[in-house]
Amino acid sequence: MACTSISLIREQSEAVGPTRALWVPFALGRPLGSAEDPEFQKRVMRDAFALLVTATEPTIADYDGPLPEEAGPGQWACPLNLGPVIDDTLTGRLLAEVGRLKTWSSRTRAARGRTLFGVSGAGPDQIDDVARALASIVDAESITDLPDLAGADDIEWAFDMPLLVRHFADDLRTFYHEAIAAQPGSAAPNHDALNDWIFGGTALGDTLQAVADRLTEADDPMAALVRGLLIPEGRYKGGSAF
Amino acid sequence: MVRLSDLHEAEAQHLQARADAMQQIEPGVWITPKPLAESKVAIVSTAGLHLRSDAPFTLGALDYRVVPSDADWGDVVLSHVSTNFDRSAFQQDPNISFPAERLCEMADVGEIGGVSTWHYSFMGAMPAPQLFEDTGTEVGQLLAADDVDVALLVPV
Repeated sequence: MACTSISLIREQSEAVGPTRALWVPFALGRPLGSAEDPEFQKRVMRDAFALLVTATEPTIADYDGPLPEEAGPGQWACPLNLGPVIDDTLTGRLLAEVGRLKTWSSRTRAARGRTLFGVSGAGPDQIDDVARALASIVDAESITDLPDLAGADDIEWAFDMPLLVRHFADDLRTFYHEAIAAQPGSAAPNHDALNDWIFGGTALGDTLQAVADRLTEADDPMAALVRGLLIPEGRYKGGSAF
Repeated sequence: MVRLSDLHEAEAQHLQARADAMQQIEPGVWITPKPLAESKVAIVSTAGLHLRSDAPFTLGALDYRVVPSDADWGDVVLSHVSTNFDRSAFQQDPNISFPAERLCEMADVGEIGGVSTWHYSFMGAMPAPQLFEDTGTEVGQLLAADDVDVALLVPV
């Protein structure tokens, strides 16, 4: 059996030495370049498959086709109104923000007929419970005990603590991304634009920063690792996420 | 774009450090496949994808999940632990990192010989690819047993 591959980080492919790799200058998370663009995706695949014929030794070839459209920082703004929220507590602000996004998230889920929400173990409609669970970590006595949430006893969390915290964050980001996708605009926001939005003043971003601080206070290697999986590198106000 | 020079400095340093720590994999036997139009193709993903009914990937996972080629996208989820890649594209269109529908389209018009009944998914972002030697070999054997001619490896 022969292998051909897509490479996203050329430096890492060069280090490992794959048999056949097509390096593409696309964003992490977008190895075939452009979502909902079958011809773009197949062009990338054809270039990777072509190496099965043209390569006669381990090869990393550069993709030389068109680049996908994406909106970077300054080129995209959240189309939804999130504020201001009058609530002194982080939990209250987060729940209010989530509440404002529910209609939009629901629209996207209905249009797509699916959701990625729920990897934490929560059901598709238990977004409030996930929000409360994440916010509860800020003041939790222990970061290894499962959150004790009234009314959420039916949830079978899919991970142990503290790794579960990282999947609370992922489920919430999934929900937020669904909400903004209801009004996508002319070009999809890229990773930087999304992170600028999340960590630029949303209650979710503020909660993630506070949870990261709590993980730092734990002074525990596992907690530090989870912090690095919680906030993209470069976004933690307390320094390196890892 | 994902040239390291285009990324946030801290993220670029993190990814470069990963590259610096990686070791060259010994090349295997060079295999030239039969023509693509006669080849059965499978996807091997490192996006941490799996069916919602499967156990999620956890820290340091070296195992893999099997994704049927006719899986409903509503049943496919992503439990990759890394936060340094954009999930919104997969939420919008799973084919962007798991092009199962694209393979079917290419098979329908004869560009490829066929699509494997099964695709495979690992969770990448591991600093030492050598750790996947055992499970990678196992997946290779499974693919060969299913008469797969070409594996398309797709990262995330």
